[in-house]
Amino acid sequence: MISIDRRIIFLLIALATLLPLLNPFGLPIKVSPEVRGVYEYIENLPEGSVFLLSLDFDPSSKPELEPQAIALLRHAFRKHLRVIGMTHWLPGTGLADSIFARVAKEMDKQPGQDYVFLGWGPGQGSLIISMGQDLYKAFPSDYAKRPTQGMPVLHDVRNLRDVNYMVSLAAGSSGIEMWYIYGKDKYRFEMAGGSTGVIAPGLYPFLRSGQINGLIGGLQGAAEYETLINQKGTAVAGMDAQSVDHLVIIVLVLLCNLFYFMLRGEKGSPA
Amino acid sequence: MIFLKRQLPLAITFVVGVIFAVQYYVPHPISEEAITHAADTMKIVAAFALLLGIASLFHVHALKIKRQVPGWGYSFVLYLAMFVMIVIGFWSGGENKVDGAQTGFGWMYEFMMVPLQATMFSILAFFIASAAYRAFRARSREAAVLLAAAIIVMMGRVPLGQFLLPWTWDLTQWLLNVINSAVRRAILIGISMGAVALSVKIILGYERSYLGGGKDQ
Repeated sequence: MISIDRRIIFLLIALATLLPLLNPFGLPIKVSPEVRGVYEYIENLPEGSVFLLSLDFDPSSKPELEPQAIALLRHAFRKHLRVIGMTHWLPGTGLADSIFARVAKEMDKQPGQDYVFLGWGPGQGSLIISMGQDLYKAFPSDYAKRPTQGMPVLHDVRNLRDVNYMVSLAAGSSGIEMWYIYGKDKYRFEMAGGSTGVIAPGLYPFLRSGQINGLIGGLQGAAEYETLINQKGTAVAGMDAQSVDHLVIIVLVLLCNLFYFMLRGEKGSPA
Repeated sequence: MIFLKRQLPLAITFVVGVIFAVQYYVPHPISEEAITHAADTMKIVAAFALLLGIASLFHVHALKIKRQVPGWGYSFVLYLAMFVMIVIGFWSGGENKVDGAQTGFGWMYEFMMVPLQATMFSILAFFIASAAYRAFRARSREAAVLLAAAIIVMMGRVPLGQFLLPWTWDLTQWLLNVINSAVRRAILIGISMGAVALSVKIILGYERSYLGGGKDQ
């Protein structure tokens, strides 16, 4: 095996990431049917519908899932939906709160009036069951310690049966599958998912069976959603870097195989 | 003692297992109330499990520091980081912000934990590239198929790939929606059937490894 020093590979990846970020070439983003499914469902929701967004990730997945969250929130706020936010990942609570606060400020939305961020609650699946029975028992107050009972944004919302649409942005277990099993299947609301690129292929069976009506996969999915709402952000910017990174990795893999077959031909047997 | 260690847990497992398996199909308010109470109980148990986990973590790393095993310095860093975070967390009342102003806890979260976690994850890109170069070889026909599929999906999932090889977009969609879905579904069904079989064995008392060992078992 002809080896390339790993530091050269690291340098190539660093350059492949940095250069497109500094000099973006902005190729057009194609939109997949699974991302369009989420967009069209939200687009067709009447004003004032209840939209639950569960940010089930921690800072390690921020580069992929934060752009998804921002794009979804911008779309929901633009459609004047009542947004309920929460997380099942304790280390992600502060990040989720900052995402809600930032987008709400940008869209001139008020906490308690137009949206509520409930924060984190223990129990995962059992928390969803509790929310399905009584939202106010599961979350007596929001993340900012305001009582949830009587909040204008939660008017006529008693439990998960009153949610019109739900999206879980997940970086692993305690996410989309859990929301389907304990939430949608029991309390009958429509839902979709967003995930990191690495777990997205594992969620396609749920998509094909209609258990989720859309799937936003990785940074590419976020870039597709930004394209749909016509408000480009960090995902579209990052796709150039990801494009070149993929190309570098493919070239490296092809080189690896070229060397492998050359050496095999010389030795007459595989290395 | 054998009653407390074996028969009682088996009886509780059987009764609770049967009740909550049936509960799912009974929409009566009493049934719904029962699952809410069970959910609350599970939350309390989970809180104790968290305490147990922290105690165990401290114990394991305390032993490493005491015995000065190789890499004990990392255990010391863990203690230091936990201690600082806990002290500042209590000092800030567990709040990221108070009256709109960021607390020390919030600052540590935003400017230490968030970038550290994001950095750890982003380093993966470098290792994946290096590992792919070293290990992703078409040693067999199966490996060659995997390699071809990986290259097609990697091209089809990024704008540059779609621009250079436009056909990879449709092929990627087909691979993900048909081939990948079929295989994943088969795996999911297999796992689920296994989980159902194991649950039935636990409820009926055939599977007892969760009771642990001991003289009375």
